[in-house]
Amino acid sequence: MSTRPAVANPRTSLFRRYFLILFGAVVTPLLIAGGSEAWFGYQDQRARLNDLLDAEARLASAKIADFVENIRDQLSWTVQLPWSETPGDRRRVEALRLLRQVPAIESLSLVDGQGRERLFVSRIGLNRIDSREDHSAKPAVVGARADRVWFGPVTFIADSEPFITVAIAGNRAVDGVAVAEVNLKFIWEVISAIHVGQTGEAFVLDRPGRLVAHPDISLVLRADRAAQKPLQDLRSAILARPGQATAGHDIRGNSVMAAMAPIPGLDWSVIVKQPLAEAFGPIYAALWRTGILLVAGALLAAGLAYWLAQRMVGPIRVLEEGAARIGAGQFDHRITIKTGDEFERLADRFNEMAGELSVSQERSDRINRLKRFLAPPVAELIDRTGDDRVLDGRRVEVVVVFCDLRGFTAFSSRAEPETIIGVLREYYDALERAVSDHGATLINYSGDGVMALLNAPVSCSDPALRAVNMATAMQENVQKLLASWRDLEDGLGFGVGLAMGPATVGRIGEEGHLHYTAIGNVVNLASRLCSSAEDSQILLDRIAADAVRSQVPLTELEPRSLKGFDQPVPVFAAVSASLGRPARWERSGRRPSYF
Amino acid sequence: MALAGGVTAAWTIPTRAQSMPVIGYLGSESPQRYASRLSAFREGLAQAGFVEGRNVAIEFRWAEGHYGQLPALARELAGRQVAVMVAPGGAEVALAAKSATTAIPIVFEMGGDPIALGVVDSLSRPGGNLTGVSSLSVEVSRKRLEFMREVRSATKTFAVAINPASPTSTSQLKNLHAAADSLGLTLVVLKASTEEEFDGMFAAVREQGAAGLVFSSDPYFAYRSRLLAELAVRHGVPAMTQSRDFPMAGGLMSYGGDFHQSHRQTGMYAGRILKGEKPSDLPVQRVTKVELFINAKAAQPLGITFPSSLLGSADRIIE
Repeated sequence: MSTRPAVANPRTSLFRRYFLILFGAVVTPLLIAGGSEAWFGYQDQRARLNDLLDAEARLASAKIADFVENIRDQLSWTVQLPWSETPGDRRRVEALRLLRQVPAIESLSLVDGQGRERLFVSRIGLNRIDSREDHSAKPAVVGARADRVWFGPVTFIADSEPFITVAIAGNRAVDGVAVAEVNLKFIWEVISAIHVGQTGEAFVLDRPGRLVAHPDISLVLRADRAAQKPLQDLRSAILARPGQATAGHDIRGNSVMAAMAPIPGLDWSVIVKQPLAEAFGPIYAALWRTGILLVAGALLAAGLAYWLAQRMVGPIRVLEEGAARIGAGQFDHRITIKTGDEFERLADRFNEMAGELSVSQERSDRINRLKRFLAPPVAELIDRTGDDRVLDGRRVEVVVVFCDLRGFTAFSSRAEPETIIGVLREYYDALERAVSDHGATLINYSGDGVMALLNAPVSCSDPALRAVNMATAMQENVQKLLASWRDLEDGLGFGVGLAMGPATVGRIGEEGHLHYTAIGNVVNLASRLCSSAEDSQILLDRIAADAVRSQVPLTELEPRSLKGFDQPVPVFAAVSASLGRPARWERSGRRPSYF
Repeated sequence: MALAGGVTAAWTIPTRAQSMPVIGYLGSESPQRYASRLSAFREGLAQAGFVEGRNVAIEFRWAEGHYGQLPALARELAGRQVAVMVAPGGAEVALAAKSATTAIPIVFEMGGDPIALGVVDSLSRPGGNLTGVSSLSVEVSRKRLEFMREVRSATKTFAVAINPASPTSTSQLKNLHAAADSLGLTLVVLKASTEEEFDGMFAAVREQGAAGLVFSSDPYFAYRSRLLAELAVRHGVPAMTQSRDFPMAGGLMSYGGDFHQSHRQTGMYAGRILKGEKPSDLPVQRVTKVELFINAKAAQPLGITFPSSLLGSADRIIE
């Protein structure tokens, strides 16, 4: 077996290309879908977070407003009746009950229609009854008289506790004004009850940005304006983009999302904040989910693409290998692909091709073998029919043709070997051409002598006539050569002898050195006739001569005594070529047909 | 066996100290007298996430009423290198703790004004290693006089009880005199700084012809509410103190800061400091709630009828 023919490695592998195409085909839409889902999901979540924080801020604002509203409502009870000159004890009892009911009110001052303080009750200081001090110029009284309800600025007692003055006027001026000092620490209960999500919280800033309420009351009590700066910045950031939840930092420097709502009536803002990580928790979770799905999808796609590419390229590799082996001459190799698709069909085609190649190889081998001693058309005929029984041994009527050169022995002893070989090559070519042309079979060469056979192994019509024609052609070819060799050797000549008769024919020997031969008297006779022929002469025996007499002009010569024959043998000569004989003798009315 | 026990003890103590922070708790009285305050303190501590024996240890030092021992006890706690020192129950305790250390964080609880008493410089930014809770008890001493006058409106002479050993006694007396002036009352000042003097004090009320006895705010008095109530009943003296324990034990009235709230906040602050916050970052908190307790049952034998203004503003009426 020869080595596999070298095929250049391809620049790019089909597997890689298929893999990339399949992988891309799955992953690209996946990425687009995942990416857009992540983007829209983010937008949705962001909007939801916005709404959530906004709602929380409004709710917190409503709760703080409730706290203030409650104080205002309680206060309004104290300014429902006009003041008389003599104060009754009833108002004092009412005021004291108010203090008990509203713990945030630290002290309450009631002012009559003239702006004089008629009653002051306090948790800490001494009460004053009917002091009649003039409070008409106090901002709380002026403000309440003008707007019915008045909220003072937030003040920090001892730089720590936030207080606010709330004043409310009665429906009529004579009902007077109630002025309460409210401790804002009590908002703590409201503000600390507000929870945004898990850890989010709310706080309140007054108009200048001071912290009024925070779940960590100590931040309020520290009243540290510098430390509260981040909260003011946060409020500015929200104000810069109204209606939007804004990212910022709280007092401890944590990143938060925050939204704001104003508190109606007061110039305060409630800000709700939620740690960024918590606020964006669902978004991050969704992004993670999408990311994991994308990665899983990509892995799946890679696996699928690998499998599919393998599936597509696998049969191609099998085909390639099979083609290489068949190409290397291993015709019995069969490609096995059971994919049930075009690949399987292609493999079947390959197998068929290999089968046909194998058959044709066998045939060409046999033809090559037969060609050694059969005329190529004969060999091919045997091959085509697939029947080489014609080569089996049998007894048949054959025409044996012998020819050789005259004076060759003398020439060969004188001439250079190259010259001899060259002469012989031209000589054999000329003879083989003639043998082949006339459907004869070349039996053997021996030196300048050549034996050819007709009507065996393939039978033919008019073997004798063919033999004469062939001999004539031989004479013609060789005489031309002899004319060209005159410079080399003058004494060369060429004679042919042929005889017809029964002979035993068949192949002898084994594969490799197979010979086809004829055995019988006729062979002997032909050989002797050849030996006795002169240059340019074609000698026939009687049987051959009888067979061709009607077509070929013959001259009967004197019977000759030949070696191996007891009686003188009658000899006939075909009319010499030098007499301008026709190229081919034919049976009258028929074209020669050899096969 | 004894040796083995000793070894075990030697092994367990350091591991316990290592794993748990230790609070040094300085008390001016005995654990029994502090029981209600302690439970409030533990409540606050739990709110901050600490439970004694689980993730915090508390080391107690009790002065058993001998306030002079407080500085020594405070130094002892400071020597133990506790994580935070809690000094509840008045200015004496806070000042003793302050004198013992400038490094260990201290959380105080008192009724007086911590700035006036020199404990801190500012409420919002206490600075140093102290912070704490202040109730309004000392500030509202004058209100007690006002309430007492309302109950005994027919009389103009009232007795006030002062503990001369208390750092707030001078300022309270000044306040009470000012209030008496504005209310048009005459004051009889009685002094007592030991339990033995209490009986004589109640006797003096009747002797001096005073209509009632108003106690100034003082922890020594507050922790002896039961004794004071017994004496008041025995002597038939209408009396009023800062602590709700007094009317609960049979006394007539009380008006003062809510100690439950103040001690709970002390616990919360201690917890926050254990978590790593600096005392200077924690503002001194004022307890906003001032509560009025009256005992209607105690009023009867004294021939007292509470006016409606008082009944209306009382946080609790014991009947």
